[in-house]
Amino acid sequence: MAPKTPYLVAGLARRLTRRLKLAVLAVQNYVQLSWRGIVSMFTPPFYTRDVMDQMDSLGVESLEIVVLTGMFTGMVLALQSAASLDAFGARPYVGRLVCVSMVRELGPVLTALMVTGRVGSGMAAELGSMVVTQQIDALRVLGTDPVRKLVVPRVAAALVMVPILTIISDTVGVFGGALISIFNLKLSWEFYWRSVGQALSMNDITMGLIKPVFFGFILSSVGCYMGLTTSGGTQGVGVSTTRSVVVGSVLILSSDFFMTKILLILFPVT
Amino acid sequence: MADFLRRFFEALELRNEPADLAPAPELSGAERRRRPIGEPILSFRDVHLSFDRPVLRGVSFDLGPGSTKIILGGSGSGKTTILRLMLGLLKPDSGSISVLGTDVADLSEDEIRPVRLRVGMVFQEGALFDSLTVGQNVGYRLREDGELSEDEIEERVREMLGFVGLSEHFDKMPSQLSGGQRRRVAVARALAPEPRIMLYDEPTTGLDPITATAITDLIVKVRDLDGVTSILVTHQLRDAFNVARTFMWKKDGEFVPSVVEDLSTLEGTDFLMLREGHVQFEGSAFELQSSTDPYIREFLS
Repeated sequence: MAPKTPYLVAGLARRLTRRLKLAVLAVQNYVQLSWRGIVSMFTPPFYTRDVMDQMDSLGVESLEIVVLTGMFTGMVLALQSAASLDAFGARPYVGRLVCVSMVRELGPVLTALMVTGRVGSGMAAELGSMVVTQQIDALRVLGTDPVRKLVVPRVAAALVMVPILTIISDTVGVFGGALISIFNLKLSWEFYWRSVGQALSMNDITMGLIKPVFFGFILSSVGCYMGLTTSGGTQGVGVSTTRSVVVGSVLILSSDFFMTKILLILFPVT
Repeated sequence: MADFLRRFFEALELRNEPADLAPAPELSGAERRRRPIGEPILSFRDVHLSFDRPVLRGVSFDLGPGSTKIILGGSGSGKTTILRLMLGLLKPDSGSISVLGTDVADLSEDEIRPVRLRVGMVFQEGALFDSLTVGQNVGYRLREDGELSEDEIEERVREMLGFVGLSEHFDKMPSQLSGGQRRRVAVARALAPEPRIMLYDEPTTGLDPITATAITDLIVKVRDLDGVTSILVTHQLRDAFNVARTFMWKKDGEFVPSVVEDLSTLEGTDFLMLREGHVQFEGSAFELQSSTDPYIREFLS
């Protein structure tokens, strides 16, 4: 048994090295695709019609899930914070807590996660299907750059629509908190909204609007990257779709931490 | 557009002349199939390519204007890879690939685009865009070019769909078409920008014999009526020989196919057989059929 050990270790080391190389290659390819996408956004030809179509698909069609998520998040925030604040006799501050939590953190993150699940996966599946049925090759042969035609419209639409969806989610969430505060926690309508107004500052709004721009870029570029690198037929499309949701969600949550650190320095809590 | 129509009708007139004088069987196949072979417009020189294993090993061949090359070989022998290399969809490890006088081996995506615009490609399953109608698929390149008005594009698209016999399917989605119809639409899409070279990647695979014959007749029609240089990749021997020995002319407004029985009289069509990435055979249909190479004999049997 003993002589086999060095071979097993060597084999394990080789596999680990190979996986590491593949991971580095994937990061390099993702960065290259993202960079090409950004550059192509500012140089002709522009596919304006495709951008509009993507805005409709990404924005308008995601409205329902974003509204529902925002509403229930605001409502549960009100319930949870009231339970904690009651210990200090601070129930009237529920509005402040709901509002700040929604605008600074939960609105952008939850909206991005929901859009990743609905749209990021859709992008990966659509582009992945195009790869395995050779439609991407057909585009290239017909003289069209797939990055300009397929990636740029999706990224541009996400950059615009994710912040808009976040604003809607924030608004609905705060409104949901108001409903619970009034009908369940027996606070007055006026007091709740006065509390919201006092709590919200320009810095909160700025932070809450910068994050979704980056999240929109992450979810769309990851979805496109996973789709365009699909291999292995229809089974590969399924794998790409799953990966786009997993990688997109993890990147959104991890980048949220780093962004929050930076934004708290740039836009401190007042 | 005007130039295409002029060349199209010139070709029809050329084909009409002898057809009116004599019935098809009495025509000399060699005369009908003879094409001017000038400087090659497509050439491979010692092309090597490897992924996990060698895919192409020192492949070299030439193709003259107006002629046809039929690439045969088993699965995984590198047939489709050759087409992808011509279009710059893959880059060779070494060797040179010249298409219409341009070495495409090291060109970037932007640099190779003008070459791609002069080459039409029919993919194995058609590769039609799912989200576009048949008409939009065929007119895709014309719309991208932006040189024609919407009316001119529609006229051209209907003309192309008429050519492949699918005029009534203009507004249908690709998912509503059969496999054979999708490939005919793919031919129309590739032909719409008036390419100088047509590449067919296994266009009859998975089709029943009657539909496959309809596709090979279409390939012959494109070649004979418009003088387009063609490369057909296939492992279907029946379809390969159909393309090699069939020619098309027009009689009383109908396209009439005629078959040359004597392979030794065929000109303008060459065969190239690949085996595990290298060229096993290159020559005429007659030479292929009379080859004594054991592998070729087994392939042909």
